[in-house]
Amino acid sequence: MSSLIPTMRHVRGFDVARPLSIGMLVFMMMPLVFLPLASIFYFGTIQGLDSFWAALTAPEAVFALKLSMVTSFWATVFNVFFGLFAAYVLSRYNFWGRNALIVTISLPTAIPTAVAGFALLLLWGPYGILGRYLAPHGIQTMFTAGAIILANVFVTFPLAFGVIKPVFDTMSRSLEEASATIGATRIQTFWHVTLPSLRGAIVSGALLTFARAVGEFGSTILVSGNLAGRTQSAPLYIFAKFNEGQIEAANAIAIVLALFSFLIFSVLFFARDWLDVD
Amino acid sequence: MWNRTFNGAVCTLISLFGLALLTVSCLPTPIAERGGINLTVYGFSIMKESLEKSIYPAFSAKWKLEHGSEVNFTSSFAGSETITNQILQGVKADIAILSIERDADRLKQGGFVTSDWHAFPNKGIVNKTPFVILVRQGNPKGIRDFADLGKPGVKLIHPDPVSSGGAQWSVLGIYGSELIKSEKESGEPDPARALQTLRAVWKNVISTPGSAREARTQFETGYGDALITYELEGLLMKDSQKTPVEIIVPQATILSEHPAVVIDRNVSAANRPIVDAFIQYLSTEEAQRAFVKHHFRSISFENLNLENQRLARIEREFTIDYFGGWPRAYPEVIEGVFKNQVQRK
Repeated sequence: MSSLIPTMRHVRGFDVARPLSIGMLVFMMMPLVFLPLASIFYFGTIQGLDSFWAALTAPEAVFALKLSMVTSFWATVFNVFFGLFAAYVLSRYNFWGRNALIVTISLPTAIPTAVAGFALLLLWGPYGILGRYLAPHGIQTMFTAGAIILANVFVTFPLAFGVIKPVFDTMSRSLEEASATIGATRIQTFWHVTLPSLRGAIVSGALLTFARAVGEFGSTILVSGNLAGRTQSAPLYIFAKFNEGQIEAANAIAIVLALFSFLIFSVLFFARDWLDVD
Repeated sequence: MWNRTFNGAVCTLISLFGLALLTVSCLPTPIAERGGINLTVYGFSIMKESLEKSIYPAFSAKWKLEHGSEVNFTSSFAGSETITNQILQGVKADIAILSIERDADRLKQGGFVTSDWHAFPNKGIVNKTPFVILVRQGNPKGIRDFADLGKPGVKLIHPDPVSSGGAQWSVLGIYGSELIKSEKESGEPDPARALQTLRAVWKNVISTPGSAREARTQFETGYGDALITYELEGLLMKDSQKTPVEIIVPQATILSEHPAVVIDRNVSAANRPIVDAFIQYLSTEEAQRAFVKHHFRSISFENLNLENQRLARIEREFTIDYFGGWPRAYPEVIEGVFKNQVQRK
C-alpha cells in the first residue's frame, strides 16, 4: 500500500491546469453566452409549448421567417459569386489600386449597419442620387423585399470574399499550370481545377454570409418599411414583438434563429474537414 | 487572354440577372395582398391594439356589407416622428395616424399630404388621452406629481423626443403643468420654475427608448422607478398584469390629441373612396366607442368617456391650445426650452 501513494502522486499527464482551465473557460462563457441564450429559451417556452407553437405558426411570424430566408439566400448567392470573382481578380492580377479595392471590399465590416441602411436610402430613396430619376418611372427599390436583399448584400459583402481570397492566395499554381500545358482553356482550368480546390472555402463563405444575413437588423429596419406580413423580416418581427411587450412571441422566433445558427455553425465545423480533403 | 476573362464576367452577369429574375418569383406572398383591396396604415406606437382588434375588422365588415368587396389592412407601428420620416423617405403608406400635429405638418411640407386634414371631422383629430405617471406598486418613491420626478434618486424612463411624439407631449405636459400650478399659486405663470422642474426631471432620465410602446416594454421588464406615458398605456399594463404598477394622475396634465392624415401622394384614384370612407369612419360613434374600449378618450362623444369607468378624473386638464397650438409649441417649448435649455445643459 505504501508504494501506491508515490505512484499516484506521480500520475503522468494528469495536469491540474487542464480541468481548471476548461472549467474556467466554461465559467467565463456562462454569463457572456450561455445564460443569455438560456434566457431566450426560458422566456420563449415559459407559457408552455402550445403557446410557443402558436407564436411560431402565427401567419406574420411564418411570413417573416420565409422572407428572411429568401432574401438571405439571394444575398448569399450574389455575394458568393461576387466574392469568388473578386478573389480571383485580386489574387491573380497585380494592378494599381488593388490594395485600395481590397480595403474597400472589407469596409462594410466596420461600417455601422444603420449607416449602411441610410446610405442605401440616400442612393435609392425618392430623393436619392439614383432614386430621384427612377421614382418618376414608378421604379422603387426601397421598402420592398429587394431593399432587404440590397441591405444584406452590402452588410455581408466582405464575408465570402474574406474566406475565399486567402485560399486563392495560398493555392498551389502548379496544378493550374499543368492543366494549361495539356491544353485546357482558362475556363476549363477554372471549372475543373481551381473551383474544386475552393469547394470548402465557398461552402463556408456561403454559410457565414447566409447566417449573418438572416440575423441582419440595423440596415433592414431602415430600408424595409417594417410592414408586418409584407416587408418585415424575422429580426424586425422579433424587435416589433418585443417592443409591443409580447416577449414570448419575440422569443419563439428568436429560438428558431438561435437553433438555426447553431445548425449552420455545426455544419461549418464538421463539414470543413470533409470539404477540404481532396 | 483579356477577352476570355471578359467572357467569364459576362457569363457571370447573365446568370446573376437570371437569378435576380427568379428572386422576385420566390418571395413569399404578402399576407394582406391575397385578394381584395389593400390599405397601408402607419400608426404611432400605441394605436396598435385599437386598430388591429376593433377598427380594422369593424370597418372591413361594414365595407363588405355596403360594397361587397374585401378590404385588408397592413400596418406598421413606431414612434410618430419615426413613421413620419419613413413616409418622407418614400414608404407607400395610404394613411398615417400620428401622435402630434407637427408630424402632419411635416408631411404637408414634404408634399405628401395635400388635402386639408383640418377639414376632416373634429379637425382631423381621431382621439385623445391624458399623460400620466406610472410607478411601481406601492409607489415606493412617493411620487405624486411631475415635480416629484425631479427628486434625487428617482430613475425615470422617458421616450426620446427625437423619435416619439409621446415624448414631446410629456415634455409639454411637465412644462405646462408647472406653468399652470405657478399661475394658480401666484397669479403669474413662472417659466423659470417650469424650466427648473423640467431640468430636474430630465436629469433623472436613465433611458430614452424610441417610442412610448418601447418605453413601456422597458418599464415592464423591471427597469426604472417611473415612466411618463399615455394613460391608456398604464391601463393596458394593468390589464396584462405582468408587472404590478400604479397610475399617478398629476394635478394638471396635458391631453394629447392624435390626428389622422391621408397620404395623398400615395393614394391611387381607385382607392380614394375607401380611404376617405375610412377617415370618416374614425369619427363615427362606433369607432369612437371602440377607442374608448381600448382606453383612449373620445374626441367627439364626451358621454362615451363615461362608459369606461377606469379613465381617470383629472383636476386640471389642458391641451396644445394652452401653448397656442403646435406651430408655436414646437419652436417655443420643444426647441426653445427643451432642446436648447434642458438637453444641452
